[in-house]
Amino acid sequence: MTPRTLALAAHSLRRIRPIAMGMAIVLGGFQFLLTQVAVFLTRNRAFGMLASLVPDFIRSLAGPSMVAFMSFGGVVSLGYFHPIVLASLVGLAIGIGTEPAAEVESRFGDLVLARPVARHQVITRSVIVLVTVVAALLLVMASATWIGLACCTPAAAERPPFALIRSLAVTLAAIVLCWGGVALAAAAAARRRATAAGMTAVAALASYLVDYLGRVWDPARLASRLSPFHYFEPMALLTGGALNAGNVAVLLAIGAAGVVAGYAIFSRRDL
Amino acid sequence: MDAPAIRIDRLSKRYPRVTALRDASLEVATGEIFGFLGLNGAGKTTTIRILLDLVRPTAGRAFVFGLDCQRQGLDVRGQVGYLPGEPGFYGDMTGEATLDLLAALARSPVDPRWRRALLDRLELAASDLKRPVREYSTGMKRKLGLVQACQADAPLLVLDEPTEGLDPLMQDAFYALVAELRARGRTVFMSSHVLPEVERICDRIGLLRSGELVLVSTVQDLRRLAGRRVRAAFAEAVAAPASWPAGCEPIAVSPTVWDLRVRGPLGPIVARLAALPIADLDVQMPHLEEILKTYYADPPAA
Repeated sequence: MTPRTLALAAHSLRRIRPIAMGMAIVLGGFQFLLTQVAVFLTRNRAFGMLASLVPDFIRSLAGPSMVAFMSFGGVVSLGYFHPIVLASLVGLAIGIGTEPAAEVESRFGDLVLARPVARHQVITRSVIVLVTVVAALLLVMASATWIGLACCTPAAAERPPFALIRSLAVTLAAIVLCWGGVALAAAAAARRRATAAGMTAVAALASYLVDYLGRVWDPARLASRLSPFHYFEPMALLTGGALNAGNVAVLLAIGAAGVVAGYAIFSRRDL
Repeated sequence: MDAPAIRIDRLSKRYPRVTALRDASLEVATGEIFGFLGLNGAGKTTTIRILLDLVRPTAGRAFVFGLDCQRQGLDVRGQVGYLPGEPGFYGDMTGEATLDLLAALARSPVDPRWRRALLDRLELAASDLKRPVREYSTGMKRKLGLVQACQADAPLLVLDEPTEGLDPLMQDAFYALVAELRARGRTVFMSSHVLPEVERICDRIGLLRSGELVLVSTVQDLRRLAGRRVRAAFAEAVAAPASWPAGCEPIAVSPTVWDLRVRGPLGPIVARLAALPIADLDVQMPHLEEILKTYYADPPAA
């Protein structure tokens, strides 16, 4: 890694710092508060009541994951698969991944690439920023969960093991990095950030819905395998399953393919 | 360095709907100040972007100091300072942070004394550099652009419309800067619409029209080619001659005023006028603007 790549990465990290710090505060705070919600529900013996409120057909549709969700560990872990958290992290990854298109659009890229900076360094910079920011945010989330569990949880509560939190964080990081890589590929070809971000966001939304249909409707099950969200299975972890390395590998491979495509497209195109 | 600062060889760039550059060939010598002219969309910026490998040519090749701009792009760009037509500065970054970041991407460290000298020459105060670029006027952004292009003291400066947005005093400061760069042995390749400016500072010019390089000449040769304008007023009516001396072309002739264009030596026409009752005689060198407007408008003479 050259000093120029690091200079670019440091510049991008400085630019994204306010958003990343804001998200860290919100997501970390959310994780901490979830532990307190779980403590509150435990003290009031509310998990059983909550479960009884869920209609039978929903319970049968959701399977054991519903049981897992209606537990101390399930509530504590909510942030690692809540659709809003997921959408915000994927959105952030799309924002970071589309920086090359933003630089082409604003012409800042002309100033950078008129210097002895290779085009692949621009893509490498985005990968560094993406991985750094996603890792930092998940570290903050995991730390907030751990702090919440360590400081304020009654001894009787069924605390989720650290390995579960780690596995949930890893699988969430994998899906976020996957979409970051896709965004990078789109940005490498686009002249406008909005185009690249919009295309990636629509693809992510479509993939999420395809996966959802596949989970609840047999005819769509096969098609859902094409969705990256098919390989994002936090509920399996909540119900006691081990981290599926194959699923994580598929997600990271999709992200890596996006990065490789980004390198290839960006190095060949006219700016 | 023996190789010319810039050599483009049968360079073409075609986009799906338009040909931006057609078979252009050109050499710019080291130490030269070269003006690259043309109307909007003539292909000036495309040529510059090919030199910087921001755009890839459809055909032909471009070289900077003998290095292929596409195959040895990094080495080329290590020797170039570039001012884009529209510098894409981030509005929320200060001028100083912008200069520091771009200096960190240069091949060799920026000499702070040289940068300070540039800032002083272009009157960008230290307090200005502490402000975010979004607060800058158009002229200040231009000055910042010039400083970032020149701060690494690269042997070749490629400047796209360098005085756009500068007030007359700053334009003079820019001309003085170009003179200093010339004295330091730097080569300047600049595109411009401002013909008096080109006439004032450039050694040679190239003119693009619709993607074709239709003229490459020194300013002096171009003037010589265009000829001088001779206007003679007579104290009494005289008859127009049946034939004019070689190189002499009447523009408007009346019994008391002859308006002529003279290409070549003035001796023959002066000799003829000497025998006539001259009341007034005016000889004007042509302005570059007049000459080039004919190239902008019409196909070049065969």
